[in-house]
Amino acid sequence: MKTFAWGLLLTFLAVSPSYALPADEIGHIHTLRGTASVTRGTLSVPATVGAPLYCGDLVRTGESGSVGLVLTDDTTISLGPNSELCLNEYAFNPKEGRFSLVVRMVKGTFVYLSGLIAKLAQDAVQLLIPDATIGIRGTKLLIHVEE
Amino acid sequence: MAVASLALFLLAGCATKHTVVLVPDPDGHTGKAEVTTGGGKQVLERPNDVTRVSGSSAPPSPVTTADPGFIASTFADALAIEPLPPEKFILFFETGKTELTQDSQKTVAPMLEAIKRRGAITIAVSGHTDTSGTAQINEKLAYDRADLVKELLLQNGVDPQRVTVSSHGKGNPLVPTPDGVAEPRNRRVEVIIR
Repeated sequence: MKTFAWGLLLTFLAVSPSYALPADEIGHIHTLRGTASVTRGTLSVPATVGAPLYCGDLVRTGESGSVGLVLTDDTTISLGPNSELCLNEYAFNPKEGRFSLVVRMVKGTFVYLSGLIAKLAQDAVQLLIPDATIGIRGTKLLIHVEE
Repeated sequence: MAVASLALFLLAGCATKHTVVLVPDPDGHTGKAEVTTGGGKQVLERPNDVTRVSGSSAPPSPVTTADPGFIASTFADALAIEPLPPEKFILFFETGKTELTQDSQKTVAPMLEAIKRRGAITIAVSGHTDTSGTAQINEKLAYDRADLVKELLLQNGVDPQRVTVSSHGKGNPLVPTPDGVAEPRNRRVEVIIR
């Protein structure tokens, strides 16, 4: 019985950190017009105002949809109609000095406004568009990716 | 086969163009961005600097100034849906206590009004102290101050799921001072509404 309890505890300890990491909210959907969706793993759900965002999320807007995201470092990204982006990588940990933001813009129109990550760490932000990489030094950008 | 796919690749490369425009921040300052392909790099550093990317082996196009008409027509929807910039309120406290100063009691109503008006998605409440007293005592005092403000929000109907509370103790002063200084402007709770 005792061994069983220890086994459970060890299993829990071994498993819990891998749960803790991807479960961190990295931001929220703040504004929405028309339809948009968020795909997490294999699950795709309609976007709603106030919904949390996680690392790896794929955000898509419909033909007349547009959506605004705010990440926890105050990075703001908005998507026009028929747009798609992936929140590839995100780390905002001032205590440990870990900063990183990698966003892949697949298609559509985007407004990017940098937050604290770009301010606190040079070269920590990368916007990936087809055929090119955009490096940021604290700034606001408009990006159009043709299909 | 290889030739056919290369030709297709080149064709696709020529057909599509991606555009990157640098615009001023909300505070009027213009930052800097570098656009890099396998063929070269362009630096954007003036308001409305624009470069175009067509293919991974071609360098980005020479920097020109974007036409305002092009910006308006291409980015109208994405610009219209931009979230509001965050709004910050600072509440000050009596020394050593979790009691708002009289002046700061007047800040509560406009703060609640802003939360309602914006339909706030997240409300970050952080507690701070001045540098008098030990780190341990101040850590707790800062947390208790933040917690008091959170309770104040909840009493006024704010959704608890939207509120996060943190303590910075004496580690993040508004006005930097040597250790052991009773500075009223550092005894505070900051509320950032997004």
